Amino acid sequence: MTVASVVVVGGGVAGVSTVAELRKAGYAGELVLVSADAVPYDRPPLSKEYLAGGRDLESIALQPSQWYAEQEISLVGGAVAVAIRPDTGEVELDDGRLLAADKIVLATGGRAARPAVGAPSHVLRDVTDADRLRTSLVPGARLLIVGAGLIGAEVASTARGLGAEVVLVDPLDPPLAAAVGVEAARWLHGLHADHGVEAVTATVETLLETPTGVAAQLSGEPDSREFDAVLLAVGLVPETGLADAAGLETSRGVLVDAGQVASHPSVLAVGDCARLRDHHRAEHWEAAQLDGVRAAATILGTEPPPAAAPWWWSDRYGLHVEGVGEMRSPDAMHQNVVRGVLGEPPFSVFTLHGERVVGAVAVDDPNAVRAARRMIDRQVDVRASDLADTTQNLRKLL
Amino acid sequence: MTGNTGNGGNSTGIRVASVDDIPEGEGIAISSDVTGTEDDIAILRDDDGTCWALNDTCTHETASLAEGWVEEGDVECPLHSSRFNLKTGKVDGLPATRDTVPHRVEVRDGEVYLFPGERP
Repeated sequence: MTVASVVVVGGGVAGVSTVAELRKAGYAGELVLVSADAVPYDRPPLSKEYLAGGRDLESIALQPSQWYAEQEISLVGGAVAVAIRPDTGEVELDDGRLLAADKIVLATGGRAARPAVGAPSHVLRDVTDADRLRTSLVPGARLLIVGAGLIGAEVASTARGLGAEVVLVDPLDPPLAAAVGVEAARWLHGLHADHGVEAVTATVETLLETPTGVAAQLSGEPDSREFDAVLLAVGLVPETGLADAAGLETSRGVLVDAGQVASHPSVLAVGDCARLRDHHRAEHWEAAQLDGVRAAATILGTEPPPAAAPWWWSDRYGLHVEGVGEMRSPDAMHQNVVRGVLGEPPFSVFTLHGERVVGAVAVDDPNAVRAARRMIDRQVDVRASDLADTTQNLRKLL
Repeated sequence: MTGNTGNGGNSTGIRVASVDDIPEGEGIAISSDVTGTEDDIAILRDDDGTCWALNDTCTHETASLAEGWVEEGDVECPLHSSRFNLKTGKVDGLPATRDTVPHRVEVRDGEVYLFPGERP
């Protein structure tokens, strides 16, 4: 069947990537992007430059506003899809409009996990969240951040830059060990204290509203502590409501195959709302973008690009952190190799399985990660001693 | 690279480096003090050995493309991996959406000459 109409629901990077790739690959049919935001924007700056006030909404747009018209993409901004009907090829909007869709692409992302707490609290997922959080980040304000993953750590850094007093609590010591390996995780987590953030290993037992703010009881502490504001940075819940209502298979995400196709052949899902069957969601920017590339290829019946090792970046306290692949703790099969001196940027850490790189993380050394991702994707044999030798150009090992 | 020095521009260009000073796949930044342009200019050497020049600052966020990864006709920004075509400056990969500016370079007798403001 020739595809004559595609409706993409969701204006994050996965949705915008899908429509961009469809046009790039020559798709000439109807193309609609339904976005809750007037103009889709990029989310990574929401915990960094945008939150700090250094960039405005226009400067974080995923594409300039005129781009959609140039590409003959109908951007339906400020709209929400309330139902999808894949059998009849329809998407229903909240204003009652029905859009015809031979293919429906769900790019609905996720919402911030919000455990039930007895006090007002912030989450950070969209610009409204960021704008609201920013009003709390004034000099001397006492901020509790629950969760020291990438977003919690980024906000801690931004909040310190704005002069707030920050307590960062996480039950793991160190947080992020699974993402960056335990050695790098410990050093990265230690940066918080170096920058005046109090990092506490604990769980939050209660959060209660008080006349002046929020009282937080942390595990193992005799007394509760007072805060002016609380940010819950404890993960993401994939937005699968439309898929659930349409009877699609979901389980911690809309389940998709390697071509992003959901359990109905007319529906695809991309980005944070989707989960490749039997895999974890990557929940990273590039993973969402590449989902869009694959979905476009599937719709057009072309060959999708080969799978690539997942790549991500983060920034804290002026340091640029990148990771690729999977970091492992040293065991009989794996060794971790430090290039440079751990704790003295630029440095990087590689996980080797035999003579194959399976993961790498770098601080202020992004080209080490770019080399690593090519070593992983191209399955290059390397020696630990060459990786560790900073006089060795990593490109020469490819 | 063409041997054309016409176009009414600076006929000899500015000698900015020896080609051997730039490893294949890497780049160097030439200060705007030298180039006379608004931005610094990155001299980028592709993995086939050819040299190209683009405005140094990524159009997405502040990062030096001279510190990027150069491969197969593109430079990849060291911050967020936006990719720019070495020859045209056009965006070949998100998150950048704005093209950058290419400049003409010429290699003569192993020396790299830059023609700021001239198109390749």
